[in-house]
Amino acid sequence: MKLVKKIPIPVLLFSLFLGSFLGRGEAAEKNPQSVQVTIRTILAENKGDEFDPKLKGMEGQLKSLKYRSFRSLKDESKTVAWQGTQAFEIPGGRTLTVAPQDFQDNRIALKVRLTQGDKPVVDTTVKIPNKGNFILGGPAHEGGVLVLSISGAVQ
Amino acid sequence: MNDCADIQELLGRWLDGELGPSESQAVRSHVDSCHECGEVRRRLGKLQLTLHSELANEAARIEFMPFWREVQRRINLKRPWYADLIDLVRDQVTAPRIAWSVPIAIVLVLAALSLDFYLPGWRFGGPRNNFASVVSIDAYGRDVALLREDETKTTVIWLYQNQEGDNEAGEENSNSGPAF
Repeated sequence: MKLVKKIPIPVLLFSLFLGSFLGRGEAAEKNPQSVQVTIRTILAENKGDEFDPKLKGMEGQLKSLKYRSFRSLKDESKTVAWQGTQAFEIPGGRTLTVAPQDFQDNRIALKVRLTQGDKPVVDTTVKIPNKGNFILGGPAHEGGVLVLSISGAVQ
Repeated sequence: MNDCADIQELLGRWLDGELGPSESQAVRSHVDSCHECGEVRRRLGKLQLTLHSELANEAARIEFMPFWREVQRRINLKRPWYADLIDLVRDQVTAPRIAWSVPIAIVLVLAALSLDFYLPGWRFGGPRNNFASVVSIDAYGRDVALLREDETKTTVIWLYQNQEGDNEAGEENSNSGPAF
């Protein structure tokens, strides 16, 4: 205790801060328990100029695609256990399988697999910002194309 | 105590009245009986008398009023604006403050570097890269395009249906051209 009293206060404070700074590395690598994955399925067409009001929050993102109308077909959210897998049914007999892989630097690595029946369509691994999304588009559906917004938020 | 050297050492204080009664008595008795010490006392007394008279003459000639007026003027003088600044800087750069500032500066630098940990999403020196990044992709022989749209920070993976059987039966080809 005498030794502690002899240490100057700035040195003591600095040491405490340094300890917490070095200790954070271990915590930063720790993966969260689960990820809330949300899939929004949108039909993009060149017929009409309809823009579904439900897609208001994504207007900026969808306008970069050269389609005239956008209609929300389905919204689905599921909690996926860390390094677990969840399947989402997509219109047209398709299945989207999502598996969180990693969480580093506030970014979630998601392994995404789209299949149509038994046939694989695409396999990809994408790192998205926590609470961010990316768009997977192109599969034909009902005279238009499907646009899938895939987002994730750690829990 | 009656040693001449000791007595002569005390003579000055004795003449100034700084000795106690017993010491004064001892010095007086010795000086009265010792010719040499009596002579030293006489010289010291004469010197003291001369100094007193000279100081009294000089003091009479000194005019204190201008001195006090100048003191009062400087007290009432308004300080220039930079005087407070100079005082402040002088206070800040004193050694104890510098000793404190070094660890504080280091702590602040480490805190800035740690902000991303404590405040996820914050980034030093500019906005964080919010784009999704594609690590790997296998489209099983289909053409794929990747788009990064700066304005909305959107990453798009676009699949082109360029193989037979990909499109749903009877649908018109909706993806013959680029999607963006």
